[in-house]
Amino acid sequence: MSKKELAVGDSTKLEIIFSTKTYKNRITKRPKIQTNEGPPDKRVQIIADVVSRPDSTYPLVMKPYKLDLSQFGEKLRDKIDFTITNVSDAKIDLEMIDFAKDYFEVKLPKSISPGESASCTLKLKKDAVSKNFEKSFTLETNDTKKSRFTMPVKRQLRASAQDTKKVTKASKNQ
Amino acid sequence: MKKITLIAAALLLMLIASQVSSAPRMTMGESVFNFGYVPQNSKISHDFWLHSTGDDSLKIIKIVPG
Repeated sequence: MSKKELAVGDSTKLEIIFSTKTYKNRITKRPKIQTNEGPPDKRVQIIADVVSRPDSTYPLVMKPYKLDLSQFGEKLRDKIDFTITNVSDAKIDLEMIDFAKDYFEVKLPKSISPGESASCTLKLKKDAVSKNFEKSFTLETNDTKKSRFTMPVKRQLRASAQDTKKVTKASKNQ
Repeated sequence: MKKITLIAAALLLMLIASQVSSAPRMTMGESVFNFGYVPQNSKISHDFWLHSTGDDSLKIIKIVPG
């Protein structure tokens, strides 16, 4: 959270991070927000259907099921492709419900025909290239259940061998 | 005597009213988010917006995981 005190009319973002660990099936979490407004405390609620077999979801299967943009060398990794397969027998429309706007953008098709796969791309924003982060994006389909799918997106940076040498040399000279 | 009681009651009401009107208040546009299907052993996140809509500044004291 960027601000802990809000003037009248001001707003702030509260980021809720959920680690799915080895949970199974539907999980609901209700973090409590304590403020100087006093009791009763207000809560936000997150719901997730944690799957142990992400290759057996319906009506879509996303591959890979986690996106890792970690970079351990100098070669810039700011883009990753993934596929979405429509495993149902009806055309599925896709809608982006939520994504970390400050970190990346995602190119998705509007719809996928039955049995077809679509190639999609996630591209990092310039400011996110130098950051370590774990975020996600959520899609909603137009099936009767309005099924949603959340893709985790991770980036870790490790100094390149050349940078490490530079740092070591500089520290010896001090 | 009655007049004094009435004036005291009116003053008390005014005091209560002034305290009520300067209270902090938090509102949220959305308070529930459904991620849908999520793989195990991963971290996902969602941003909720908190708004200060009272008559006094809002202090966020603590977020308690639940």
